[in-house]
Amino acid sequence: MTPALDLVDIRKTFDSFVALDDARFSAYSGEVHALLGENGAGKSSLMNVACGLYTPDAGQMLLYGAEVSLSGPSEASARGIGMVHQHFKLVKPFTVAENILLANPRRNFGKGIREISDEIRKRSDALGFNIDPTRRVGELSVAEQQRTEILKVLVGGARILILDEPTAVLTDQEAETLLTTVRGIAAEGAAIILVTHKLADVKKFADRVTVMRGGKTVATIDPSTKTTDELTELTVGANLPLPARTPGQFGRRRIEVINLRCTRADGHVALEDASFHVRAGEIYGIAGVSGNGQSELAEALMGVRTPESGLIQIEDAGEAVSAASPARMRALGAAFIPADRYSYALAGSLSITENFAVGGVGSGRYGSWSRLRQSAMKRDAEAAIAAFDVQGVRTLSQKAALLSGGNAQKLVIAREFSRSPNVIVAHSPSRGLDARATAAVHSRLMSARESGAAVILISEDLDEVLALSDRIGVMTHGRLVAEFDAPADRQQVGRAMVGHV
Amino acid sequence: MSEDAISTIPVPSAPKRRLRGIRFNLEVRRDISSWWQAAYLAGFIALGIGISAIILIWAGVPAGDLVDQFLVETLTDSDNLRSVLFQGAPFILVGLSASVAFRARFWNLGLEGQMIWGGIGATFISIHHIGPEAFRLPIMIFAAAACAMAWVAIAGQLKLKLAVNEIISTLLMNYVALNFLYHLLYGPWRDATDGFPHSPKYADFERLPDVFGFSGALPLALIVALVIWWLVSFTRFGFYMKFVQASDKVAGAVGIPVARITLISVLLSGALAGIAGFVVASGQEGRLIQNFSDGYLFSGILIAFLSRNNPIVAVIVAMLVSMLFISGQSLQVFYQIPFAMVQLVQAIVVICVAASEFLIRHRIHIVR
Amino acid sequence: MYELFINWIANTPGYAAPYALAALGLILCERAGVLNLTAEGIMLVGALSGIGATLIMGGYPPVAIIIAMIMAALVSMLFATMTVLLRVNQVIAGLAMVFFCQGLTALLGNLFEWKNQPITGIGRIDIWPLSEIPVVGHIFFSQDMIVFLIVPIFYLVNRMLTRSMVGLRLRAVGESPEASDAAGINVTAYRFLTVMAGSALVGLAGAYISVASTKIWVDNVTAGRGWIALALVIFARWRPWRALLGALLFGAIESAMPRIAAAGIKVPQYFMLMLPYVVTLGVMIWVAWSKRGGATDEPGALGQPHVREERR
Repeated sequence: MTPALDLVDIRKTFDSFVALDDARFSAYSGEVHALLGENGAGKSSLMNVACGLYTPDAGQMLLYGAEVSLSGPSEASARGIGMVHQHFKLVKPFTVAENILLANPRRNFGKGIREISDEIRKRSDALGFNIDPTRRVGELSVAEQQRTEILKVLVGGARILILDEPTAVLTDQEAETLLTTVRGIAAEGAAIILVTHKLADVKKFADRVTVMRGGKTVATIDPSTKTTDELTELTVGANLPLPARTPGQFGRRRIEVINLRCTRADGHVALEDASFHVRAGEIYGIAGVSGNGQSELAEALMGVRTPESGLIQIEDAGEAVSAASPARMRALGAAFIPADRYSYALAGSLSITENFAVGGVGSGRYGSWSRLRQSAMKRDAEAAIAAFDVQGVRTLSQKAALLSGGNAQKLVIAREFSRSPNVIVAHSPSRGLDARATAAVHSRLMSARESGAAVILISEDLDEVLALSDRIGVMTHGRLVAEFDAPADRQQVGRAMVGHV
Repeated sequence: MSEDAISTIPVPSAPKRRLRGIRFNLEVRRDISSWWQAAYLAGFIALGIGISAIILIWAGVPAGDLVDQFLVETLTDSDNLRSVLFQGAPFILVGLSASVAFRARFWNLGLEGQMIWGGIGATFISIHHIGPEAFRLPIMIFAAAACAMAWVAIAGQLKLKLAVNEIISTLLMNYVALNFLYHLLYGPWRDATDGFPHSPKYADFERLPDVFGFSGALPLALIVALVIWWLVSFTRFGFYMKFVQASDKVAGAVGIPVARITLISVLLSGALAGIAGFVVASGQEGRLIQNFSDGYLFSGILIAFLSRNNPIVAVIVAMLVSMLFISGQSLQVFYQIPFAMVQLVQAIVVICVAASEFLIRHRIHIVR
Repeated sequence: MYELFINWIANTPGYAAPYALAALGLILCERAGVLNLTAEGIMLVGALSGIGATLIMGGYPPVAIIIAMIMAALVSMLFATMTVLLRVNQVIAGLAMVFFCQGLTALLGNLFEWKNQPITGIGRIDIWPLSEIPVVGHIFFSQDMIVFLIVPIFYLVNRMLTRSMVGLRLRAVGESPEASDAAGINVTAYRFLTVMAGSALVGLAGAYISVASTKIWVDNVTAGRGWIALALVIFARWRPWRALLGALLFGAIESAMPRIAAAGIKVPQYFMLMLPYVVTLGVMIWVAWSKRGGATDEPGALGQPHVREERR
């Protein structure tokens, strides 16, 4: 049988960086084929070639046996290749029907909306999606938005569906529903390509898996024939040691959050009655699917968002002090590793030295208000770069934005930890980082814990939370609904994440 | 190859584009040396000047006379040289004013209105004889700065507290200030001795003294430039300003008092423009006249833009603008070219330089 | 007194027309995601072209107005090139364009000796016999051609924006260029052409001022109306019909100014002249006050150049 999609010896370089190195991939109609690999392994690049966003430097692409050269995403779409991106390409103020009409244009607007709405309803019913074409996309839940994206490509006549990290933003239950639905679509004759880094999904739902590493295709196998460890080894190249856990030695309470309530600009209550405390030498992990108030909690903890009511108290020489602004919190010994580096931690267009030094400028470490000492800043930055293994630094005066994700994160940590903080708030600290960088971040958090800092770890990655935390709080719909002590049972935590309303 | 070892920044664009058979690729440059940047900048400025020269020739100025007028005459003729040196002062000041505001991400387009209020403040002191003679001049300068600061503070607070777009608000306030000036000059402050719509003349001790035979305005402006340079390059305030300019969100999150820094920058900007207003009023006619602030808004923007908000470079650019200004006056007298030509030349240069940024940031590959 | 009042209302549409048309043109540009500060400059181009064309042809004001719109669209290509193709900062580009146009129009107006030359221009049309109806006749049926066309123009543009495929794509480009790109829409082409189309409307506004209102060209004949139009766009929350309403309000104020003096009410002359600008400021403050912390109607991608795949 000819494969629906066949990519042969694809090569793609950007400047001197080789993104795809003779990569091969083929998917048949009716199968769910997973594309497995770490961040940076080349999965996204390969799929960008498949959907027409990238043109390969060398290699061929065959559709149902015939060679094609795509001129762009429109041609790919016309030929039946539909991509559901990880970051949805939806216009939030438009309705579902308008969004789908945008991607699948008709000649007349009025008629087009009616036709498309009918088709949406038909397919939605058939798949059990429950999507109303007249609703605005901005009001839909994340899972519903994803279903809209799937409907978009199906209406466009896609016979080859590429799903990029579809379960990243879903709860375990929603993920299960989605993947079952996807199997159903495959059963009707479509070819489904599942791009993911989650082994569990691969083992459960994929007929075959292609593993990529460093731009190369490493193996194409049936996942049911390999153990999780074997698959991990193929993906990462070696088994990374888990950070060793020392038994916790907990001191007094360092930070306490009391009845915190945060409302978003549109009136939606994002955080309601959140209360918890963290002791010295403890890592308190907050688990939950993203979008349940974690961002608002992190912003409130950083002092960037003013809560509607409630208190955040940091222990300062035996007394509990209410903290509000970022400057105040830092003065009390708090440090922050935000999820979005370039919104809350690093100024991309400024140099590495400046980004590092801003942590100490206020305290007079680098000179008085009237005369700053550049040399002292450079010296400290150099020492920190070495100590925290920040790579890719050609000169200290280069722009911070040029650092790769992992190194930028290390720079943030280098700066934040340079003042030996008592309280650390880390929000999705390993998002977008590869395995090695993630391990480095985790070991830093663990050593901070050992030095007696209180660490709050907010993360959508349940594995991360389970591996690092001494206690785990579960957040759903803006409330902390459960607390567990380590070692926690994954099933219980997962149930808490979806069960409580 | 581990992704950590290299940067992932410059991802060149999409599939190669076609342009009538020539395929070209657009790539973001990873970094570009300062020398190349300066070379591109100089090249495009030259292009802008070249285009302006062509327009001038088409408008009737003989080509040979152009070089003569713009370069030779302005510098060699002693009257012209005096004018250039004097004119440089307010240009330096408005250039600094614009730069300081832009560094704080505040588009202060109210430069002319602030100059007007500066003039009004100083004239008020003069008309009402406030303060002893010995201190009159500093008091006038102070009043000029204070009035302009108060004027810009309105727009500043509107932006900080209500997020009112400052581009439009400062521009509208220019028109309000101008009309108020007319009201004063045609009304209560009209000079009783000759009935013309200008204020009574300042007394001699109320004007800037001459230094080494040239106007004292320039040394004043240069000192101010040095102070500003020290402020942005060496102080903690200047360091914080850098962050606020790069990203006010990040600045706030790392503990920098963004609102305070912005407000101080805006007020400083206003004060500088106010002093510029006083310099022009006192130096040109020695009294407050109707359109003394004309042409300074865009000049200020141009200086800030070309000097990339660097105070020292701003001084140089300001002097060049001053030469352009004085040449413009000569062109008007000798060739009947309207003074608007100066504005046109300025706009052309800014457009060329702005367009050059694209080439500096990107590289175009022709693929055969 | 009664006459004065009727007079005031009847003259309002004439004063409102340039604001309405300019605001509409700007709304188009901004809905597509391009922050267009060039209004004051493009209006001048339209104004000068209208006068110039009339003088050259010796009349035919409607043709002159069409020519003015074309000239405005052509000049706007410079702005479109800078912002859409070369990704120049839209504020700098806009400001540079305004001063470019101010300088250029003053220069050309002088060189071609189009300055201070009165023309007959566009006159009032009385739709007889409807215009004879007391009170309303004078107001609704005795205006010039362009004022009569405003409501149809607004209707057509609004319909295009909300109920056509072109309008859908235009709005998509302004809200989310990434989604538009993924949907196969040429974001660059849409933005470029929208800037030209919007600028044609702005040029029309300028031509109206010189050919229908003042019937003469002087330097800076637009006197800051372009900036007021920008404020109107914010007030209108980027919706055409609200812009028309705001334009009528401003037209009413401008129309009132000379009539207040005629009624014998004593207001210092220059404070009167300040009025439009002060009122505009007031409107901006009011809009900002009532939206404190609330969600914005601003197009999602306004002012941000669209770059495909430039990762940070």
